[in-house]
Formats: sequence, structure tokens, C-alpha cells
Amino acid sequence: MAGAFDYAAAIPLLPLFSFVIAIVAGHFAPRLLPKGGAIPGIVATGGSLLLSGWLYVTVSGTEQYFNQELYRWTTALGDEAFDLSFGLLLDPLSAYMLLIVSLITFLVHVFSMGYMNDEGETGLPRYYAGLGLFSFSMLAFVASSNILMAFMFFELVGLCSWLLIGFWFREPGPASAAKKAFLVTRFGDYFFLIGVVAIFATFGTGLFAPRGESLGFPQLAEHALNPEMHMPEHVANFLGVVGMDANTWFAIIGLLVLGGVIGKSAQFPLHTWLPDAMEGPTPVSALIHAATMVAAGVYLVMRMYGFYAGLPNVLALIALVGAFTALMAATMGVVKREIKQVLAYSTISQYGYMMLALGAGGYVAATFHLMTHAIFKALLFLGAGSVIIAMHHNENMWDMGGLREKMPVTYWTFLSGSLALAGIFPFAGFWSKDEILYEALIHGLGGQPLILLAYALGLIAVFFTGFYTFRMVILTFHGEPRTETAEDPHGVRWNVKFPLVVLGILAAVVGFVNMAPVKELTGANITYLHTWFEHGLEGVSLEAYHHILEAQAGYQAAELSSIGPGLVSLALALAGAGLAWRLYSGPEPEAHTDRLGVVKDVWYNNYYQDEYQVWLAEGVTMPLAQVADKFDQGIIDGIVNGVSSVSLFSGSHIRRVQTGVVTNYAALLTLGLVVLALGVGLFGGWF
Amino acid sequence: MPVETQYYLLLSAAMFSIGVFGILTRRNALLFLMSVELMLNAANINLVAFSYQWGNITGQTLSLFSTALAATEVAVGIGIILVLYRNFKDVDVTEPTTMRW
Repeated sequence: MAGAFDYAAAIPLLPLFSFVIAIVAGHFAPRLLPKGGAIPGIVATGGSLLLSGWLYVTVSGTEQYFNQELYRWTTALGDEAFDLSFGLLLDPLSAYMLLIVSLITFLVHVFSMGYMNDEGETGLPRYYAGLGLFSFSMLAFVASSNILMAFMFFELVGLCSWLLIGFWFREPGPASAAKKAFLVTRFGDYFFLIGVVAIFATFGTGLFAPRGESLGFPQLAEHALNPEMHMPEHVANFLGVVGMDANTWFAIIGLLVLGGVIGKSAQFPLHTWLPDAMEGPTPVSALIHAATMVAAGVYLVMRMYGFYAGLPNVLALIALVGAFTALMAATMGVVKREIKQVLAYSTISQYGYMMLALGAGGYVAATFHLMTHAIFKALLFLGAGSVIIAMHHNENMWDMGGLREKMPVTYWTFLSGSLALAGIFPFAGFWSKDEILYEALIHGLGGQPLILLAYALGLIAVFFTGFYTFRMVILTFHGEPRTETAEDPHGVRWNVKFPLVVLGILAAVVGFVNMAPVKELTGANITYLHTWFEHGLEGVSLEAYHHILEAQAGYQAAELSSIGPGLVSLALALAGAGLAWRLYSGPEPEAHTDRLGVVKDVWYNNYYQDEYQVWLAEGVTMPLAQVADKFDQGIIDGIVNGVSSVSLFSGSHIRRVQTGVVTNYAALLTLGLVVLALGVGLFGGWF
Repeated sequence: MPVETQYYLLLSAAMFSIGVFGILTRRNALLFLMSVELMLNAANINLVAFSYQWGNITGQTLSLFSTALAATEVAVGIGIILVLYRNFKDVDVTEPTTMRW
């Protein structure tokens, strides 16, 4: 029965093989590589998808989850030391996520044949090698059993994003966008790294979940925080060293790790890299936004949710950051002209919703939205990619229009994704976003005013989401063609249409796995996702999280029907969509953004976030660095150089004793002997 | 009637002083070398004298070694003097001052 567990390591390793094939064959024998590496990539990710499916089925039929060490690369020698190892943790959460990630990576590989191969791009082996490594890193990150391994693959994901965003590195835009993405996420990862060290130092383990007798660190944290449980000795010792109580110290650790999450998941204030990352190839954008890079941050919070659940202040901060990001990014998306820019801001906004859900105690809602978002955002990006192929790589929506008749498959699937994104009944996004807002509302009403504030921000963002989504759809597909390219678009082949159709159908139906409002109406037990996450290793299941949230964070759910709030958010989404329809429908839509006046400038310039960050770098960090450089060059190096120049100077003078005349040396020797004899005689008492 | 040890010591001191004087005043490399030999043999006389006084042959044995050492030293020294002559056309020890730093 446990056969799937034996092969689970192959899920991440298959894309690694495709990476190796693409790199090696691409370098030595590019002609032997079918389709520039696309075929090995598709086969590998297809294999991962099948194995993930098998794993998913296996996990659903067992209570024996897999949490094993595969390779130990550092063995502890002392009592206080700890092992460092690679391992796999396969429980409902990781099996679920592996399925999503491998599905998206598979479809993106197929789509890439249409977007890259058919468009005659060069450097394809490099591209497919990057995709393979990206898939490998993300899958391995998802299945990581300890936080150090997770950190390593987290970093690899960042590296791959750098490689792929900067795929067209000969142009200045992609090169600088890649650098920005790497540096901004790296800034967050710096805090994450300190957090990892702090976790190992505090708990003596980095495990996410219990393995045999030894507990994972979220469980140890629960033991330490709960006064009814026994405080682990190691934790107590370390808390004595730092001199803080458990709550404060754990909150600090939580915030440090959150730094990495905010960087990777593009939350305020580290979201600035993501819109620039649109410079990369569109399939890469789909991969980054839907399943890999950006999802990694949110997934990390889910993976160690038992740790965060006991820290109410950190949870409130997560919720507020998420809700604020959701609203802010949605407003910026309203005024953009490029189709991919709109999608980029919508990604930031949607990940904000997931953070809101996690902060508000809606663990299932967050995982649900992560899944629906992965599907509809991948769909929207691939649809946008199809449009971009058709428009000969012009991304400006004002040059499009009227593509509905020309590209029906793209239009209908894109529409399905847009309805899901806007949260319109009954598409996927409606169910998940509704559940997020509902969770935020009931926990907010249950005595958490900050969560209530976050709910309000999230609710306003629903309106903007509806608006920018339909502005994008209408400008791209409706009305009359506004340029010659739009009148005669370039056709797309099956390899573009197939992923679109798969995702389009999924975006329409996948929400049915967790219809909480319908359950309330009919009483039928159809919230399958809740059932799914109720199982798991001890301490990493939904029940454990609920228990910690109630006992330690003091989260209380108010009694409230989910139908009313659902109708409110649906009404807001429809209002946004309706407004967009009113403003932009018709054969010749006009630009209305100028009517916003100053607000438009602020939104169009992204609230001047880039400007202030550049100012921070140039106005604050650079002078500081210059002072540090002065100190380094002047004082540190000065001391070293001073010592050496003193020796050089004195050496050049004292060497004049060496005359080269042997007689002088002999005289000095004799003199020295006499002085020595006199000295010994005087002080030794000869005379 | 054996000779008293202090006479040997006087002889040795006198030889050593002559050697030092030679080193400090002579410029000819050969005479320089001879002066060094004088000093070395002054030390040898000391060794033999003390060995004789205490009836212990260790000192005499050591003096054999140092005689052999002196012979090697002369061989090397003369070699150096030859090279010196070849390069400077002279055996004056104050001439080759360029061989320092």
C-alpha cells in the first residue's frame, strides 16, 4: 500500500534529470535534444504529475504518513548538537501541494513549446534547463521535512527565478528585472536565514512534523507556550540564555521567518520585484506566479502553521500585511496598460488574500485559495501569453481589442479564469475568496478588531479586483480591433490551446471541492478540503491548529451564516465588473483613467514604492556604506598598512649596519663579546 | 714535572688575541683566514689542556673533531678566496662590499 511513498523522491528528482539532460545535451549535442529540451521536460514533469497523483491517492487512504530522513549530511557529536539532514515529509498538505505544482509545471512545459519553440527563440536548452531546475527546487521545497532543507530549496527557487526572468539577458530590461527580483527576495531571505538559525538554536531541531519519538519545532513551541504542557528542557535552557519569555522570543523567530515569506510572496513592502519580473518569458511568469516562486512563501507559513497559530500578535500582523497588500496591489492594477502588468498586480493582491486568511486563522481557506489561484492565475498568464503570441509580442491592451472572434479558445478560457479571479459565482475564485473573507469576518467579530480591519480592507479589494479584471478582458477581447496586428492576429497551435482548455475547465469547476455556503444551505457534507486537512501527523492537522488558535491565540469564531457575507462580496465583485463594463464596453472604448487625476499618477507609479526604495538605497544605505568603507579603508586597513610601513622604514635604515666589509663584522663581533664579558663580569660578580 | 695548566691557558689566550688582532687589522683574505685558524687552534689548546688536567679524554677527542672542522673550513675559505680573486682581481676583504643588501 505504501508503494507511492517509496517512489515519492522521484517527484522532485525527475525534473532534475530533465535539467541535467537539457544542460548536458544542450551544451555538447544540441541537435540530439528534441525540441530544445522541451520533450525531456514534458516527460519528466508528466511523470512527476502521475506520481503526485498516485501519492495523493495513497495519502488519502492511509493514516501512516511519511516523514523520513533520506540523507544525513552532518551528524551531531555532542549532546547540545543536532543533525542536519535531507528528508521527505509527505502528509495531506504536501501531497496536495505537490499535485498542484506538478500539474502547473507540466502544463507550462507544454505551453512553452508554443510560446518559445514555435516563435523561434534561441537558447532553448538554457530555457528548459531553467524550467526543470525551477520545478525540481519547488517540488523539493514542498516535500521538505525540515526547515533548513526548506531554506536551501527556497534559495534555489530564487536563483531559478533569476535565471529565467533574465532569460533575454542581452536586453537591459530583463537583466535588471532579474537582478531586482533576486536582490529584493534575498533581502527577505536574510531574515529567514537568521530565523532558521534561531529555530535550530532554540528547539534543537528543524523538523516540521513529529518523526517517531522526536517532535518537530512547531509542536515543541506549542509545548513551551501551553502552561498545561511540559516545557521542553532544551527550549527552557535557550530561553534562559536569551533572557526572554517564550511568547516574545517565538514572536521574534516568527517575524524573522516571515521576512523571507514577505520577500518571496511579494507582500508589502517587498512586492516591488514582482511587476518587474514580467520582463521574463510569459510561461515563466505563469510558473512563478501560479505554482512556484511566489507560492513558496505562503506555503512556508502553512507548513509551519502550528508555530504561527500560537502567536496572536504575529497572526494579526500577517493578516494586516496581507489585507493591505491585497488592497494596494488591486488599486495599482486598475490603471496599468500592459496585460501582464495587470496580472502581476493581481497576483500580489491574491497572495495578500492568502496571507489574510492565514493571519485570520483560516488555514483551509488559504490552502483552498492557493490551489484555485494557482489554476486560474496560470490560466490567465498562459492566456495572456497566447494573446501576446497573437499580437506579435505587443503587450499593450490599448493596441488590442476585438480578439474574441479571432481566438475563441483563448477568449473563453481566459474568461473562465477572469470570472474565477474576480470571484464571481460559481467559478473557483468565488468559493475560496469568499471563504477567506468569511473566516476573517467571524474571527474578527469573535474579538479581534485588527482582523476585522483586515477584513474591511480585503472586502474593498474585491471591488477593485472585479474592476481591473473586466477592464482587462474587455480591452483585450471586446470592441473593435484598434491596430492592424489586432485585426490579423498570429494563430496559435494545440500546444497553447491544450493547457488553456485544461486550466479553463478546472478554473470553472475546482471550486466545487469546498463549497462552504452550500453545505450550510443543504446540510450535505461537501467541504472536502476540510475533511482532507483533518488528517495528518499528530500536531500538524487542522484540529491541532484549531486547538492552538483557540487555546493560545484566543481566536474565537463568531456564530454567523456564511451566506450573507458571501452575497456581499459577490455583489461587490459584480459591481466592479459592471463598472468596468459600463466604462469600457462598446466598439471604441476611451481611457477613463485620466479622470482619476492625482490618484491615477499615484497608482500608475505604484505609490512611488520604487522611488522610495531607491531613495533608501541611494540616500541612506549608500552614505552609510561610504562611512563604513572609510572606516575599513582608513582605520582597519590603516593599522595594517601603518605597521608594515613602520617595519619597511626602520628596515631600510637599520640595514645600513650591514656595510659589506668583513672586518667591520669581525670588529662588531669582538666588541659584542667584550661587552658581553664585561656585562656578565659586572653583574655576575667576577670583580 | 708536568707543565701547569695556567701556562697552557696563557698560551691559548695569547694565540687567540693574535688571531683577533689579525682579523681586525689584515686586509688580505689569506692572512684573514690564517688568523681565524689561530683562534680556532687557541680553543683547541684549551680543550686539550683541560682534558689533560682532569684525566678525561673527551676534550682531546673533541679537539680532533674541531681540527677536522678547521681543515674543511680552510678548504671552503680558499675556495671563496679564489672566487673572490676571479671577480675582483684582488684578495682584499674590504673590496667586495657590494655583496650585502
